[in-house]
This record gives sequence, C-alpha cells and structure tokens, in this order.
Amino acid sequence: MYAAKRTTRFLLALLLALALAGWTSAQAETPYYQSADFNVPILAGWQNQSADGAAQFSLPSASAIIRATMAAGADAQSAAAADLTGWLGLTKLDAPVYSGKVNLADGTWHVLAHDIDAERSASQLARQAGDRFIVITFLESEPASRTWMLAIAQADETLETPEPEMDGALQQLTQLRLDDLEATGTSALPGGDWLVFQSETAQAAGSLFGNDSYIALQEGALGDLTALADAWRGALLGFFITPDNSLYLGLGLAVSLLILAGLMGSFVWRARALQKDLAMIEQLESADAN
Amino acid sequence: MTQRGTDAPIAASPQPRLLRALTILAALGFVGTLVLGLFVAGTDIQQGQVQRIFYIHMPSFFGAFTAFGATVLGGIIYLWRGNDAWDRIALAGVEVGLAFALINLLTGAIWARPIWNTWWTWDPRLTSAAVMCLTYAAYLMLRAGIENPQRRRSLMSVYGILAFVSVLLTLFIIRIVPDTIHPVIVGASPQNAQGTFEATSGVVLALLPSLILWLTLMPITLMWHRYRLALRQEAVDALKLKLLGG
Repeated sequence: MYAAKRTTRFLLALLLALALAGWTSAQAETPYYQSADFNVPILAGWQNQSADGAAQFSLPSASAIIRATMAAGADAQSAAAADLTGWLGLTKLDAPVYSGKVNLADGTWHVLAHDIDAERSASQLARQAGDRFIVITFLESEPASRTWMLAIAQADETLETPEPEMDGALQQLTQLRLDDLEATGTSALPGGDWLVFQSETAQAAGSLFGNDSYIALQEGALGDLTALADAWRGALLGFFITPDNSLYLGLGLAVSLLILAGLMGSFVWRARALQKDLAMIEQLESADAN
Repeated sequence: MTQRGTDAPIAASPQPRLLRALTILAALGFVGTLVLGLFVAGTDIQQGQVQRIFYIHMPSFFGAFTAFGATVLGGIIYLWRGNDAWDRIALAGVEVGLAFALINLLTGAIWARPIWNTWWTWDPRLTSAAVMCLTYAAYLMLRAGIENPQRRRSLMSVYGILAFVSVLLTLFIIRIVPDTIHPVIVGASPQNAQGTFEATSGVVLALLPSLILWLTLMPITLMWHRYRLALRQEAVDALKLKLLGG
C-alpha cells in the first residue's frame, strides 16, 4: 500500500512537471502574429509593431507599413475607410483612386487604393468576417513617391502573365501604359516570381497566383518594389482566421467518455446481474437442502 | 492470473489492492491527460480547438493495439497450454480493444467533419480501421453463438490471432498505400495528407503522457476488471449447471 502511495505521488508530480513544461513551451514564439480574431505571418526583415488587435509590420528604409486588423462598418469600403482614418487620425479621406473586387480562396475581397495626401498613399483589401471586416492595409509615406498594391482577377485565365492587369492598373493610377515602361526581367522572391517593368519615374511589378494578378505600382522616386510587393502578398495570402470548432471538440470528448462509461457501466451491470443470479442459486440450493 | 476453481465463491471475492490502485491511477491519469490536452497544449491556429481530439484519437488506437495484442497472446498461450485463464484474457482484450477502437474511429470522424468537411471518406486508413472494428465485433457475436465451451475457446483463440492482421493493416496501411489523406504525425505525411500539423514540443508534452496512459494503464486496468467479470460468469454458470444436474 505504501508503494502504491509513493507511485501515486510520483505520477502526480510527473504530471505537474509535464503541465509546467507544456505551458512554458506554449509561450514560445510562433511565426505568426496571433490575435483572438486572426493570424498573420510575421514578415521577415520588417519591424514587428503589432499591438492589441492589430498586426503591424514596418520597413523604415522604404517608409512602408503593412497592417492587418478587424474593423466595424456598414460595408467593406466604409470599414476600410474608417480603419484608415482612425489609424492615421485623418479628418477627411477622399474617394479611393482605385476600387475593385477579387475572389480569393477565403472569400471576396474589396480592393481599394487611396491618395491620402502629398506624402502618403495607401492600398487596402477588405472582406467581411462575421459582423466585422478584415482590413489589410499597405501604407507608404515616402514624400517623393506613390506606391500601390492591388489584386485583380485575370480577365483572361488562359494567359500566363499578369501584363494585361498591370497595364489596366497603370492606366488608371498613373495615366501611363505598360508599353511606356521597359521590361527589366523577373525577380524571384520567396512568395513567387515578379515580372518587373520600369521607366525613370515609374515601375510596375506583377505576379500570378491562381487566377489572380498581384500588382505593385510605384511612381516618383523608385525603390525595391518587388520586396515590398512580396511582403504584402505574403501577409495577404498568409492571413487566416482560426476556425471556431469547439463544438466538435466537445462532441468528440462526449463520445469518448460515453463509450468508456458504457464499457465500465456494462461491467458493473453484468456483475450485479451475476450477483443476483448467485443469490437466487443460493436460495434454490438452501430450498433444496430443506 | 492463474486458473481458479470455477465453483469458488468468486462473485463475492474482494477487489485486489493492486487493481484498486491501478483503477485510481488510471482515473487520475485520464483526468490529468485531459487537462494537459485541453488546457496546457497550445491551440493549433490552423485547425482550431478540434485538433485537441488528437490527444484521445491517437492514444486510443494504441490502447486498442495493446488490448488486441493481449488477445493474440491469450489465444496463443491458450492453444499451447489449454489454460482457461488465457482465454479470459483474450476475451477481455477484445471487449476493451473494441471500445478503444470505437473511440478512435468516432473521434476521427468528428475531427474530419470540420477539417475535411466530411464525416467519412473511404480512405485506406479509415476503411481499414472500420474493418478492424467490424472484425472484433464479429468475434463477440461469434463467441456468443458457440455453445460448447471447449470448442468456443479454441475457435475464438484462432480467430483472435488472425484478427490481429486487421490491426497491423490499420497501423501500417498509410505507409504502404500512398493514396491517403490521413496525416502521419510520426514521420513525413503523404503529399496529399489533409489536416496535418507539426508535433511541436507543446503537442509532444500533451501527447506523450496520454499515449503512455492509453497504451498501458488503461487497457491493463480495464482488462483486469473484465477478466474478473469473466471469472464470476464462469463460476455462476458452473453453479447453475451443478444445480441443474442435481
């Protein structure tokens, strides 16, 4: 009995130690920014400025910030606008210079581009999630340039190039044509290959993923556009919401406990039935003896 | 667990201290591993809370493996030595193993619903697990249908040994048949596996105690209880026969 007590104590101590070790390891850093609502991959080489409820990564050398958050609003556009004005403390936000929609694997996203003021431009993607809206914003605050990030569904899915969409976006945002720029080759980055076109004052980068063209445009002083574009697309495609499936966990536990209880209950029930049989046999035996 | 006289007053025999201690340990261990799996291990951000089913799903299969393994051992030794005790162990192994295998099968289906978007698919691993359950359910049905005790014990020993093929098939099928969506946790998953996750230290720390518990303490304790029940049953049956024989 003493040995059993010692074993029980040892096992309880072991369980406690395992619990402590498990809790400690659960605190270890993960490659994702995790909020209660969503997860975003932490961008390598970017400063992580994430705070409560908003994932935010900054690249000071390019005056760029990528931010993901959940916002309230009547629709995706108004939620995105409310988030941008609230975040930057704007009193007024003009109508977007580009507005479109794109169907990605996780739903329909509204694509918006803003010319905020003389220094800043912003690109936003927003989609509904429950009663709120996910908003992913790319903000560029380099006074000498304008940078936009867009996702556009391919008009012709048989084409294996984003060039038609690059051309359309360039015309709409810069009044330039793709023909005005010179193809400088393909830039292979972790997120994929980016086709780059450049002139002295503008550049465009485009990459295909599925049937969508991801496009980055820059006007004015030119920087490493493909690196920005790849990080932005990484944040967008890596963004996901952890599903709420606690009910299935509860169901699984209930079924497991029910089967175990059923097995043990059947042992008890059968043992009692045997006890009754035994009592009856003893009764019959004593009746026979009498 | 040696053979005892069947007319002994076994129905009233007290529970051995060791069995009582094992029962308490198994219960504590079960609660403890549940706590580890539910509250200590981190939430899988891709799969959500339902991933925690894994801390029961996988260990329950290995518990079934132990129990069905005991059936094989019991069957072989019974056929070799003819000692009824080993037949009781074999029977206990099937009942406990089948319960564990059902837990494995049903928790898998429940996990699959949100992750694979279906309760069931005729994947090689799922199909072999279902066949395994049916094979052992048939053992119990067949056993109940054979009147002659000696013949029943011999036949069921052979059946119990052969049925273990279905356990091995379930265990190794995803290594043999690459066309499976069932994830492999230990080792590389097949390319088309869906719902796989990394066995990080948090997962391992929650899984390991659960695995040890289901592999050893739980099947052994439950089988011992079932063994004692079989012993009682035989004693009561013998008394009934004696009474009828006058």
